[in-house]
Amino acid sequence: MTDLSASNAFPVPTIVPLGDACLLVRFGTTLTDQANRAAIAFARLLEREPVPGVDEVMPNLVSVLLRFDPLRAHPAQIAGEIRLRLFALRDSDADAPAHWTLPIDFDGPDLEEVATLLGLSAAAFVSAHNSRTLRVLATGFAPGFVYCGMHDDALVLPRRTSVRPMVPAGTVLFAAGQTAITATPLPTGWHVLGRTDFANFDASASPPTRLSPGDTVQFTVAK
Amino acid sequence: MNARLFITRAGPLTTIQDAGRFGMLRHGISASGPMDRAAYALAGQLAGGGSGAIEITTAGIDLVLEAGNCRLGLAGGVFTARHNDRVVPWPGVVTLSAGDRLSITPGPAGNYGYLRFDADLDCPPVLGSVATSTRAGIGGYRGRALLTGDRVDLRPVAEPAAPVTVTVPPPDNGPLRFVWGLHADLFSPTIRQAFLQQPFAIGRRHDRMGIRLDDPHGVFAEASILSLVSDAIVPGDIQILGDGTPTVLMRDHQPTGGYPRIATVISADLDRLAQMRPGTMLSFAAITADHALSLLRSQI
Repeated sequence: MTDLSASNAFPVPTIVPLGDACLLVRFGTTLTDQANRAAIAFARLLEREPVPGVDEVMPNLVSVLLRFDPLRAHPAQIAGEIRLRLFALRDSDADAPAHWTLPIDFDGPDLEEVATLLGLSAAAFVSAHNSRTLRVLATGFAPGFVYCGMHDDALVLPRRTSVRPMVPAGTVLFAAGQTAITATPLPTGWHVLGRTDFANFDASASPPTRLSPGDTVQFTVAK
Repeated sequence: MNARLFITRAGPLTTIQDAGRFGMLRHGISASGPMDRAAYALAGQLAGGGSGAIEITTAGIDLVLEAGNCRLGLAGGVFTARHNDRVVPWPGVVTLSAGDRLSITPGPAGNYGYLRFDADLDCPPVLGSVATSTRAGIGGYRGRALLTGDRVDLRPVAEPAAPVTVTVPPPDNGPLRFVWGLHADLFSPTIRQAFLQQPFAIGRRHDRMGIRLDDPHGVFAEASILSLVSDAIVPGDIQILGDGTPTVLMRDHQPTGGYPRIATVISADLDRLAQMRPGTMLSFAAITADHALSLLRSQI
């Protein structure tokens, strides 16, 4: 018997209005690998086959935002076009377009504490952290800020209970099974593992960021 | 000779804005743009065609035209404008010659006013826009708010804007209308009901990123929703912070966030919200997204 469910492993999304000028195609309400892959794949498909009347497409961790001009386009019509395209979504739409090797100085103030909380030495934690090739899950929160994941279940920690008022661009952060990189100075409640020279935001460049959702990332120890 | 403005007094968070920096959400940058879009458009219509605006806040602004001459359109809230000590109408038009002074001081209503010109503000576009993003630190005057002592050049209009007819909506003291938000179903029916019935007030913490609301009846005091996956934010989203404070996210919002959002204020009511001063009482009413669209279309 043919297993029909295996023909498309992506979760079934819901299409919800976000205010009166955006629709959100939501592949989940929690961060899962499949929901993230689906969001990345669908955003790519929308670049290939744009929906008339949609001015902007933004992939998020588990969803895709479509912004339209409410004076020209109607959400019901856009939702119809979205459904048409969802049926054409393929697993290969999520394939990595680029691979990056990002060296990190693991000298952050929370490295020892993170390792201890996970029952590891600092060296063993760094080795475990770098063992898996991660995916850029999304860009968001601040210019060029990227979430990379997912780490192994053994490397999942909640955020810190307090917020650091400001960390510089290039800070490497860790929480919730993910490693994030700042590209501008910002406050954070994530654990600070270290820093990287890799700059993911340049306002004078086009496009202004280098990493794209779906890219694969290998972290290494900076020499 | 091109005209040049010399800012002799700038209130806090005086920024250069245009319609907005659209298309950059995927890079982590929200659009910015005017807090009161209708007032921005009206000032542009009065000025006659230049791109960019100076968005002023309640403290106002003083400036001198150092060189050249220019025509200004003034609109947004109710401010007092003086041209060389002579009061001019608000909203209105004023023509400055070299050496003329313009002084704008607070009036009885509103938070944001717009100065637009018959020339383009000479600022380098960043990612396609001169709008200042106070969050990203890009655009406008060197990526920051205008300060006393800054000089802003004007240059002849590069691309004449299509003429627009601006209709300023009549004053409306009714409830702020919203569409239920991304996380509305995570709030209890009791909280959702109270949100519709209880009054709120504009709080003192109020800027281009967001407006904190006072919640005198503690509608959200017990609303503890934890660990949401970070998702897209749009202007007008009402998010509930961990301590129960409701905050309406505005033009310089962060592009994604993880606090629960119960509702999104409709586009047609965002200008009105932006102009409400701290202490203003308000209430909320739920409508459908379709109804929100018809209200927006009827404003034009």
